[in-house]
Amino acid sequence: MPRVKIDGTEYEVEDGRTILQALDDLGLLMNGVDVPHYCWHPKLPVDGSCRLCQVEVDDIPKLQIACNTPIRDGMEVRTQSDRVADARRGVMELLLVNHPLDCPICDQAGECKLQDYAFDYGVKHARTRDPRRPAQKAVELGPEIVFDQERCILCRRCVRFCRDVTGTAELGVFQRGDESLLETFPGKPLDNAYSMNVADICPVGALTTRDFRFKIRVWFLDDVDSVCNQCSNGCNISAGRAHNNVYRFTPRRNDDVNDTWMCDAGRLSYPALREGRLETAQLRGRSVAFNEAVAAAGAALRETREAGGRIVGIGSPFAPNEDLFTLRELLGAVGAGPGLFSVPLGAGDDILIKPEKAPNAAGARALGFVESGDVGDAALAIVLGHAAAGDALSSVENVILIDTHDSALASRAMVALPARTFAERAGTFTNHAKRVQRFLPFLEPRFEAWAEGDILTRLAASAGLDTDAWDVNAVSKRLSQEVPAFEGIDLDSVGDRGLELR
Amino acid sequence: MITTPQITGYLSEHYAADANHTLAGYERAGGFKAVKKALKMKPADVADLVKESGLRGRGGAGFVAGLKWTFMPEKSDRMKVLVCNADESEPGSFKDRLIMERGPFAILEGILIAAWATGAEKTFIYVRGEYALPIERLRAAVDEMRAQGYLGTKLFGKKGFDHEIVVHSGAGAYICGEETGLLESLEGKKGQPRKKPPFPAQYGAFGLPTTVNNVETFAHVPYIVDRGVEWFRGFGTERSPGTTLFGVSGHVERPGLFELPLGTPLRELIEHAGGCRGGRAIKAVIPGGVSMPVLPPSDLDVGMADELLTERGTHLGTGGIMVMDETTCMVRAACVISYFFRDESCGQCTQCREGTGWINKICRRIEAGRGSDDDLALLDSVPAMMEGGTICAFADAAAWPIQGLMRHFRADFEAHVREQKCPFPESFEL
Repeated sequence: MPRVKIDGTEYEVEDGRTILQALDDLGLLMNGVDVPHYCWHPKLPVDGSCRLCQVEVDDIPKLQIACNTPIRDGMEVRTQSDRVADARRGVMELLLVNHPLDCPICDQAGECKLQDYAFDYGVKHARTRDPRRPAQKAVELGPEIVFDQERCILCRRCVRFCRDVTGTAELGVFQRGDESLLETFPGKPLDNAYSMNVADICPVGALTTRDFRFKIRVWFLDDVDSVCNQCSNGCNISAGRAHNNVYRFTPRRNDDVNDTWMCDAGRLSYPALREGRLETAQLRGRSVAFNEAVAAAGAALRETREAGGRIVGIGSPFAPNEDLFTLRELLGAVGAGPGLFSVPLGAGDDILIKPEKAPNAAGARALGFVESGDVGDAALAIVLGHAAAGDALSSVENVILIDTHDSALASRAMVALPARTFAERAGTFTNHAKRVQRFLPFLEPRFEAWAEGDILTRLAASAGLDTDAWDVNAVSKRLSQEVPAFEGIDLDSVGDRGLELR
Repeated sequence: MITTPQITGYLSEHYAADANHTLAGYERAGGFKAVKKALKMKPADVADLVKESGLRGRGGAGFVAGLKWTFMPEKSDRMKVLVCNADESEPGSFKDRLIMERGPFAILEGILIAAWATGAEKTFIYVRGEYALPIERLRAAVDEMRAQGYLGTKLFGKKGFDHEIVVHSGAGAYICGEETGLLESLEGKKGQPRKKPPFPAQYGAFGLPTTVNNVETFAHVPYIVDRGVEWFRGFGTERSPGTTLFGVSGHVERPGLFELPLGTPLRELIEHAGGCRGGRAIKAVIPGGVSMPVLPPSDLDVGMADELLTERGTHLGTGGIMVMDETTCMVRAACVISYFFRDESCGQCTQCREGTGWINKICRRIEAGRGSDDDLALLDSVPAMMEGGTICAFADAAAWPIQGLMRHFRADFEAHVREQKCPFPESFEL
């Protein structure tokens, strides 16, 4: 492995890496070693055109771009010399020749690389007297992306994303020189399933999503680590939250799962966290207090057991591992067979989108749930989620439904109990590649709702079973000790990148 | 129509002959002797001979041609190719055009010799789109060679020596004369120079190992192989041997081409062109195409070889000399030059895209009588911000002429700012 000296410190790096890749691998890029860059992106082919990442390499007279300079053993790189700083100042000043200085009303303000690097390398007084390049405002490039042409610095990340990641190639830079303009090819709107990623990788305020544009200043948002629940890929996301509202999902980098991307459907799934919810406990279609519904359900469970009636448990591929484990424990305690579950299916692709439209089917399988809807002659069913329950339950006299969202089943069930979504509690999902990934709460429920496992535990207590209060961390620990596939895998140990099942 | 240089040398001595652009005419004048001689030598020895001759590329950068050939991988499981850069677009340069029109076979024979030396199996000749007659002549010449069995397989009876030549028309972009911009354009893409690495010798046309040489560079090769290194080095200077087709244009009495040894004094060339028009005094001379920094009259004694011009802060470039007389407004010259580069910048690199436009706006403002001392300071600093930091040399080519004008003719710019108008009423109009 080649050794390289960067600003006087020696590092060992992988073969065949460029200077920027090596810094990224080491976790030092813009995090200890500042090499500002626009066109380079860790998950896109090198472009080499913004010229901001120039550094001194060995005794080469010209500065070299760190994005396209492969590391050789014994190479010495200087990223902070006066010459480098001069070059950065020059590029920054030139980038601003045609860039509007309307930061106060720009949607990117606060997360703008042009602002950040101008803060570090900008000239203090503008030397331009000339009007900026004329350009169009609010161009609709596709259903989700709105483009403010005058802000574009022509880094072409978006062009490469559409050419090399999605393979759809809707975007190009047309014309030449200082008349260069980003546009879609005629008759080819930017409408691929991943189009909104271009807004993330746009270093400036040129590409915005219709969904998030001008909704809130980004500095009011906290980003909470979470995992998308729209398919079994489990893309790592950040939930942008303020005032107990979520304003956007953005992909969170995980090179083992989703690189730096997510699909548009996943990104736009957040309104469902608030819409169509089951907001009150139901007893035979009538709203009742939560505890009253739990008591009724507990009584039914106890009576069915005492009468020797068959009990069936139906898990959900939307429920976290910890809650499915609690259901498994409960089913064991009441002598029921393994829990059942089914997974909604849809279209997939070979980028990120998987056909299984739920986040935790692999977790359900690993916990012994069986893919079946056959409830047989069950007298009582404990059901997590309505999605796959369907008509199979029409023969069951007592349905105890624990669900995040309202449904026909909720009004038909004996008892329906409001559960928290993954946004309102911590837990883990196991993705299609058997990677267990953690999500953290970013919303407070606006009505009484509890995690599925918590409700199951209250139900068990009400039915007279011996239980402790439900705590996701304690359940996670017990799961990691009792289920071999989860050995050593719990809410703490998965970290923010996840761990694969044993 | 010009058919021959005003002064001829070994390259152009037969250009006046009507049949020189036909295979029969070229062979009558001794054509295709050199390639047969080269085929009796080992390929590496041919490359060495050309390297020893000191032949420097005639496209502007002046790199030693034989050395460039050795960058091609000796063994390659992919086809190796040559590219002949015939996208002559540098304002002030018009030599390759005549070579293609009057002496196409010397280029093609040079290509075959280079193909033998490098193991290339195919050559693309990328011709500037506006060059209708050169394209016609080259296509006709290639067809004649193919009919004669000089292209195809087992050429000149040499087993394993196969070659094909494709004449490709460009679409008129200056940047496609930059060798990797040319390769992109040849592949049907937007003409934008490629970042290096990889270099063309590893990843060139269609990803194949590629060597790119200028039209005139190829045309010298048969003469060097035929007549020898010592003969070739009898022309020109130690570091810049051989002749070249100097172009002289602008404010001279008889603009045209002159085949003379490298190192010929600039003053002598201008005299060959009849001197400055109307007996006026020379104000400035661009020595090698519009990218090269301008020289003042005090530098007319300089020899026209790159190493000598470098001492005067400029370069040989393509050897296209442009003379400006005493009436010329240097700010207007700056407007024209900076407009050209603004218009032709491909727009990839920040410094070039933004710098070329900014400089042009500043020059136009000064010429319009609205310039300030701040604008003069910008013309000092913006070219320096563009220089040396981009994918290709275009930004340098845009920066250098402005730096040259500011170095030698700052007084013109200052007068515009001081008087808030152009003080050269007799100058050419914008």
